[in-house]
Amino acid sequence: MIIPLLKGLATTLKMALSKPITLQYPEEKREVSPRWRGHPELTIDADGTRRCVACTLCLEVCPSNAITGIEAGEADDHGKYPVAFTIDLQRCIFCGFCQEACPKGAIKLNNLYELAQYDKKLLVLDIERATQSKPQLRLGDWL
Amino acid sequence: MVNLTIDGRAIQAKPGSTILEVAKENGIFIPYLCYHPALKPIGSCRICVVDVKPGPPRPIPACATYITEGMEVVTDTPKLAALRQELMKLVLINHALECPICDKGGECELQDLTHALSVSTVDLDAVKLPPNPDYVSRMVERHPDRCVTCGRCVKICRDRVGAMAINFTLRGYFTELASGAQPLDCEFCGSCIDICPVGALINKQFKYRARAWEGAKTEMACSFCGGGCTYQAHTKNGRILRVVNEDSVLLCGRGRFGWPVVEADDRLKTPLIRDNGKFREASWDEALDLVAAKFKETMEAGGAKAVYGVGSPRATNEANYIFQKFFREGLATNQLDNPGRYNYVRAIKAMAEVFGTPKVEGVEAGGALVPAYNSPLVVKEGGQGSGFPFVLGKLADLSKADLVLVVGTDVTPELPPLGWKLMEAKENANFRLVLANLRKTKFDRYADLSLRYKPGSERVLIAGLIKFILAENPDWTPAIQATGLDELKESLKKLTTKEITTKTGVEDAALKEAAALLAQAQAPAIVFGAELLSQDKGQQTALALADLFLLVGKPDSPGSAMYPVAEKNNSRGVSEVGVLPDMGPGYVPVEGSDPGPTLEEVLDLLEKDDPASPKALYLLGGDLLRWLPNRSRVKKLLKKVPFIVVQDAFLTDTAQLAQVILPVAVHAEQEGTFISSTGQLGLLNQALPTNGVRPDWQIISQLGVKLGFALKYVNPKEIFRELARKMPLWAGLAPKLSAPCPAIKAAVTGKFAPFEADISLPGRRPYTLIIGKSLQHSGSFTTHHPGGPMSVTGKALLTVNPEDARSLGLAAGEVVKVISSHGEITVPVDLSAEVPAGVVFLPEHFAAPAANDLTLNSNLMRVTIQKG
Repeated sequence: MIIPLLKGLATTLKMALSKPITLQYPEEKREVSPRWRGHPELTIDADGTRRCVACTLCLEVCPSNAITGIEAGEADDHGKYPVAFTIDLQRCIFCGFCQEACPKGAIKLNNLYELAQYDKKLLVLDIERATQSKPQLRLGDWL
Repeated sequence: MVNLTIDGRAIQAKPGSTILEVAKENGIFIPYLCYHPALKPIGSCRICVVDVKPGPPRPIPACATYITEGMEVVTDTPKLAALRQELMKLVLINHALECPICDKGGECELQDLTHALSVSTVDLDAVKLPPNPDYVSRMVERHPDRCVTCGRCVKICRDRVGAMAINFTLRGYFTELASGAQPLDCEFCGSCIDICPVGALINKQFKYRARAWEGAKTEMACSFCGGGCTYQAHTKNGRILRVVNEDSVLLCGRGRFGWPVVEADDRLKTPLIRDNGKFREASWDEALDLVAAKFKETMEAGGAKAVYGVGSPRATNEANYIFQKFFREGLATNQLDNPGRYNYVRAIKAMAEVFGTPKVEGVEAGGALVPAYNSPLVVKEGGQGSGFPFVLGKLADLSKADLVLVVGTDVTPELPPLGWKLMEAKENANFRLVLANLRKTKFDRYADLSLRYKPGSERVLIAGLIKFILAENPDWTPAIQATGLDELKESLKKLTTKEITTKTGVEDAALKEAAALLAQAQAPAIVFGAELLSQDKGQQTALALADLFLLVGKPDSPGSAMYPVAEKNNSRGVSEVGVLPDMGPGYVPVEGSDPGPTLEEVLDLLEKDDPASPKALYLLGGDLLRWLPNRSRVKKLLKKVPFIVVQDAFLTDTAQLAQVILPVAVHAEQEGTFISSTGQLGLLNQALPTNGVRPDWQIISQLGVKLGFALKYVNPKEIFRELARKMPLWAGLAPKLSAPCPAIKAAVTGKFAPFEADISLPGRRPYTLIIGKSLQHSGSFTTHHPGGPMSVTGKALLTVNPEDARSLGLAAGEVVKVISSHGEITVPVDLSAEVPAGVVFLPEHFAAPAANDLTLNSNLMRVTIQKG
């Protein structure tokens, strides 16, 4: 009768001393897998410029029409760059097709997963908000 | 028919076709890169190679090999596939892989071909060539690193456009497209852009604005000259991206690059009403109510004839038709005319005098429902017609003529499609081009005979040709049944050979040669344009040409016809639908009421303060002040009219004099039809929102309804149905077809009409000024937006012969004062030997200097030129 009780207590003691398998979310954040598919964002070069050339292949391949309104401009060196770019996270299904289609590595799914908002408008990213703030790579398998 | 087999399939095909054409028709895939249906075979890429038996023991190009009886063609063997792959790799060896930013990406033939031939890697090495892009040239951007040296652009420029502006430089692997180590300085038609299979030539207006596949395509007729070309406008987000002619690729500079006029900043957006001398914006209801009230007031005071209308050669047939209905049925007057009175109408009048007004028999209403913009009338068995429309040529036929006589006309600026057809005709071995012009034009380089005559001596020249034809062939009988030849001979009797040669300055040998060519020709055609018709005796000149055609013309052979140039998109249509004081729709003379005064007569009435002069003017576009000769007089006379309504897209000089201005929709914003210079029905489809302005037909209809007229229409289709029912000349007409229908048997007869074989160029001033057309512009329509044609030809330059410039001490760009008997202007000069010494040329399109400040009644006048 006492033996099973002790067995149970032993398990409890063992677990109490070992590393917990749950996270104290939101105080603690989960480390995600390098293959995690967060939301798409426009990547930047070491000098802070976007890699995007507004070829619109991501827009074409996007199955849920989450990417819209790509407008191109002509740079002083006659290069092509985007002046408008909209990613609608309400529509995004995190499939990663855009990342796959991009010939320039200019759009990547990041490792962010806290996307809930009180205001829907905040989920529609314009070109500034859709752009990485730092050129650091948020994913292990970058390019 | 020729029998052959392709890949074992037995096929019958037209003789004279190439293997590639036959394969395409029969749905057999042969890959190609340099071939284009609009060009003759080039054979530079060799990707279309096929095995042919009987034939040489090696693969031969399908695009350049003509089919023969019993030919056996094999299009796909492992060896051929390997050859094609290898050829593709050679093409791709130095190709810049910029597809993401290349505007051709998505419609690139090289991309498609790379996929079709499964070329995934290029395992060849070669010296990397420098990219050498050309960002400097206007309208066109060149990227030699994307070029596949197929030669299409060189061919279209040389063989179809006739500009010869680009060519290849260097050889072999280093071959590069070039224009003499200079930025492009050509006609800027942009045809090379659209024929390029890759992105080596890029349209600067379209650059980076959208990907190739994004534009919604709307087909429409071009709204600039009377050429009647059809193009697809690609639009995105309510704006035009570019226009493309997907059929023949060819468009001129104004057609291809002139569309930004829709977006011009000075477009009128709301109706304007003059209040205390200033314009204020008003609502549509207020403006239309005011016009209706004023018209009623005018009619009560001065009768229905106190309102006079001027139709527009830019507005659609539908708008012009209900405009004339507004006057003929609403007001029951014939008080209307169109500005073509000063050019195209003169040609009509002259030809009607010689060949008679049109009569069509054997045409009836078809029973079944007809599609929109198709004539409801059908030609019965034995339908026949007579009158001048049956000697007017169709565009497609011009290349079948064996002799074209161009008189006093710079063909390409006046009507580019005629130029392209002349280039096509030139490919026939027996074709002869006779050019008579006082200045050198583009087609001089292709002419078999150039007659350089003295200013204003066209009629003497034509009289000379008639005389020499009759002198060499005393028993000459015209192919057309004609009367009055003796009277004509009699009227020309006094004109001696010596007189002809001294007056025209053309040697009699050259004239005799031209006369002999005309007499021998089996299908002669005559081309003449607005530059000739705008002279004070333009109608006499047209009469002389009509007589000449009656003498030598053979309307039964295709191509033998008269080609008067109708200057604007609907110059021909506005007259055909009856915006004339003496003729209703279909050139039917008005019955039961007196013909109204012509535009010229109205101005005279105003000058005399005649009680019959109009008290209200209704102007459908048409900037009279800018386009009518003697600007100061026209301005003075228009100021006398108490009430002027102008329907226009811009605040033109004439609109400045108006009491009410109603803003209208322009080309891509409205629906309707045009009749081209060569009789083709062009259909306009709406591609853009109107943004508050209204199409002409809607305004006229609403105004009519306010005045209590039966002018209520739902859409232009309904107007066209009603209009076409009244036009037997249009029987069987449908978009892209030309009137009159070939099923109507032409029974052309003519009567020679004597003309005045004189020179009308009064005054003693030392230089002769011609006011004419520049290549990049069409009326003033193209001058409202700084992009497109204005970036190529942005201002008026007076073309002066270098010898004259030397004697006047002028350098290029220097500003001179040009003084005529009627006024003076200041303008910078451009030196060119294209004008002979003693002659200067000024384009008419620009607001400043206003060319008509100088004119009295002709576009040809004597002037003095002063430095500074």
